[in-house]
Amino acid sequence: MKYATFVPEAILVAGAVTILLNARLQPGLHRRLRPRLPWYAAAIVLIALGVELWAGANVGTYYDGGLVQDRFALFAKSAALLATAIAIAATDWPAEDSLSFSLAMPMLAAFGVMVTASAGDFIGVWAGVEVTAAAGLAMLAVRRPDLAMRLLLAGGAAGAVLLLGLAYVYATSGTADLLGMRSVLTDVAPTLPLAIPVSLALGSLAFRASLSPLQVSGGPFTPPASPLSTGLVTGLSAAAALVAAVKITAALGPVAAVFGPFLEVVAVVTMIGGGAAALAVRAPRARIGFLAASQGGWVLAGLSTHYHAGTGAAVFLLGALVIAATAGPAVMGALGAAEPTLAGFGALRPHRAVALSLCMLSLAGVPPLAGFFGEFTVASALAGAGRFELLAAGLLGSVLCVIAALGTIRVVYLFNPLEESRRAGLVLPVWSRFSAGAAVVLAIVIPAYSLFANPILSLAFQSAEGLGLK
Amino acid sequence: MLAALHSLATATPSPAPIPGAGLFTASYLLSICIWTPALVAVLITLMPNPRGRYDSVIRNIAFFTNLMLMFVMFIAYNQFESFLPNVQYEEKISWLPQIGAVYHLGIDGPSTVLLILSGLVGIIAVLASTGIRERVRSYFALLLLTQTCVTGAIAAHDLFVLTLFWSAATVPLALLVVGWGGARREAAAWRLAGYWGIGVVALILAVMAIYAGSGGSSFDMDVALKSALAPRAQVIVGIAILIAAATRLPLFPFHGWARDVYAEAPPGVVVLIAGSATRLGAYLLLRVLVAAEPDGARLLSPLIAGVAVVTVAYAAIAAMRAADLRHAGAYLALVPGGITAFGLSALTPLSIAGAILALFTGGLASAFIASAFATVSDRAQTRSVAVLSGLAPRMPKLAWLTVLAALGVLGVPLMATFTSNEMTFFGAFKTQPVGAFAVAVGLALTAIALAVVLQRVLFGPPNPDAPAVSDTSLGETWYLALLAGGLLWVGVVPGGPKIPGTDFPLFDPGMLNVMVADIPEIVSPYTGTGP
Repeated sequence: MKYATFVPEAILVAGAVTILLNARLQPGLHRRLRPRLPWYAAAIVLIALGVELWAGANVGTYYDGGLVQDRFALFAKSAALLATAIAIAATDWPAEDSLSFSLAMPMLAAFGVMVTASAGDFIGVWAGVEVTAAAGLAMLAVRRPDLAMRLLLAGGAAGAVLLLGLAYVYATSGTADLLGMRSVLTDVAPTLPLAIPVSLALGSLAFRASLSPLQVSGGPFTPPASPLSTGLVTGLSAAAALVAAVKITAALGPVAAVFGPFLEVVAVVTMIGGGAAALAVRAPRARIGFLAASQGGWVLAGLSTHYHAGTGAAVFLLGALVIAATAGPAVMGALGAAEPTLAGFGALRPHRAVALSLCMLSLAGVPPLAGFFGEFTVASALAGAGRFELLAAGLLGSVLCVIAALGTIRVVYLFNPLEESRRAGLVLPVWSRFSAGAAVVLAIVIPAYSLFANPILSLAFQSAEGLGLK
Repeated sequence: MLAALHSLATATPSPAPIPGAGLFTASYLLSICIWTPALVAVLITLMPNPRGRYDSVIRNIAFFTNLMLMFVMFIAYNQFESFLPNVQYEEKISWLPQIGAVYHLGIDGPSTVLLILSGLVGIIAVLASTGIRERVRSYFALLLLTQTCVTGAIAAHDLFVLTLFWSAATVPLALLVVGWGGARREAAAWRLAGYWGIGVVALILAVMAIYAGSGGSSFDMDVALKSALAPRAQVIVGIAILIAAATRLPLFPFHGWARDVYAEAPPGVVVLIAGSATRLGAYLLLRVLVAAEPDGARLLSPLIAGVAVVTVAYAAIAAMRAADLRHAGAYLALVPGGITAFGLSALTPLSIAGAILALFTGGLASAFIASAFATVSDRAQTRSVAVLSGLAPRMPKLAWLTVLAALGVLGVPLMATFTSNEMTFFGAFKTQPVGAFAVAVGLALTAIALAVVLQRVLFGPPNPDAPAVSDTSLGETWYLALLAGGLLWVGVVPGGPKIPGTDFPLFDPGMLNVMVADIPEIVSPYTGTGP
């Protein structure tokens, strides 16, 4: 049972491959299973989550340190699996292009996040980020091949830069092992030649995380990208990149001076820029993307403190972020493309409307939801570290985000429903017990994250300690 | 008179106990007061309401929920042991031990005053909302959620919990304004969200500065507010708290939201905002700056007094010049807040006690004047002061109530504002004579503004071209009468009615008796009797 820890990864990959092959090789069976396929996919992910929570508690190192199961891995993997399961269950499938493909890609993206979270060295980190990004790009390519091609080129460049930066660090420290690197780097002076490649690597991760202003003009958020593909990019891809950032900054802790200022600048720009962009755009899907970007800035701000309280708080916030950002775009279906089409959504699809509102408010940091708790813990870490300028910037960004989120919620609840002919061809999400139930679960999970903040935050703090931070 | 007032606020080692107090204790009394409205809000949101069939049921649920809450809060008020200087009805549960956040609730004298205000305003807000016809379920759910936020902020004894409830109030109130407001509701709602957002930023910065300054281990007020910050840090915290309070109370120059919100929001929402939500600004100033950071409070005292003076004077002049009756009401609603802030700035036992009483009286007076003018403009079908004229004979009940509201703002004898204003002024003359004189001048200007507006609107010659008018409905009469009743009750019997020939309270222990608990501790840095 030594390798039971990695059963969840195996379940996900096997599930995704089976769904893809079944659609290709047994179209008859696929047609018969089609109505219940999202159920099965969500069940597969939930089984993986169950196994992760059971087996993932066993801390250990595998494959000569190539993979690590620690509290951080347990936390990040669980959050990614929960977000994926809810997103799959809450998705309005008629708004997606290919059922089998759209079911498999989120599972593979979650697998990428899990690889990043378990990575014991730079190669694993890089590979996990790339797998997640590839899954997101593949989803986008179904409907927006032009955009996917653009992002593929930009993402490829970002991946190369990340690899280059990591290679330089490897050359400097003589090891790619993340835990071992901390002890090696204690004797290394923080120099400008080291700062440049590290900053480039973190910059490429910021790009991967779709943090403003590095996203390509909001591309993945804009129509006609499918709702789930947007969730994949804003949620799971961003989570993989941020998980990688957590691991890399923890490993580089002894030479924090080489990336600290850069991280702070990116955090400030992202927190305020994300909030301002969320206020400027009207399309709800794009708005969720920018809200998520702004909250990603809070995560970076937490990482910039370089001590376990800040990183623990950032990890705690990351859990809230990945759930809301992945499932948020999925619950509104095709209507997320334009704000007026959401008019009266609260009356027409109350379950989805509540879930959407809570996702947006959580991403904006409104109390008493998950995002507020996360941002407050980061804020307390920033105060503890004396970083009041970062705190002020974050709070300013949050105010912008709250106003932006209220703008959409006002349309959802306070506007009368549009006639079908005025929805510009965008149809309401199909009502089913399954998807309504998933929306209810999402609406419960977000406040529950606050209610059970103590054990979750405790796990997040343990995960920061697991990364070697004191 | 002065001696009697002074004796109320002066620290005495063992004030006389209120007979009958402390007989009842409940472990979760404050949690019940906080979370019941939220629970009912969720329930009515989930309740099926096809085509508004159960609108009246929802209205009744909201009303009886508030009535029940008022009953529970009255128990807390009635059973409050004013001879104990410590926090009562305390609840303490570890919440986020990693950062030192505790679910710590508790009330002392000042918070009990606000708690009763919140309960009373909750009932009045529901009564003032009888005219709501659209999306009734959402409206009352948001109203109840606001109640939760206000009560939670009052009862909070942990800076994390305070921040949580204080910040959360913005969302339901902005949605209430944007969903059920008048023609310019969008601008009003975004202004509210923007200004209050600035206040939230300032509050969180202040809280974090206190947290960091106290060692970064606890948000519990018993720990964080008891640690002595350096004077410079106290000033920085004080400025942030002043900004937060000024956005909420509101005080000049952070009053920009008030005119639009009071003018555009429906009367029920106006009552809630002016009555209790905004009083949290003064409460914050009292709790975090005056009571906990004495050096900062002393250094910032002239600034707070100046801001208060400008607020009162500006409100009076703007009301005089207003062409819109609801704008005039909105400006006049700023006056009690200015006087409360001035009382806190003077830093004498009597002025602080006056300011604490003004939390209650100012809330009622602000809500009364803003909602009375809103009702007049609704009933007269126009808001233009140029068109409105000679309404008193055609709406006698509303005219009387509006005059009472004006008297409430001015603080004439028999009104509760009289007692609080007198305490504030007498207390402040010792340390802020110029400010006290300036606020008195501002109050005189307010009287002129009220005289001008009321003469024109109620008692001038009738305007034959004006739209048809009608007097108040039963619901409107009730809610305005309750506001008037609250002001008169505390004005006539501030110490509570007694059984003749005894010291036993009839049923109300008296606002003045209850609020004195904890005042000696709050004022101790300013009297030299403290530790």
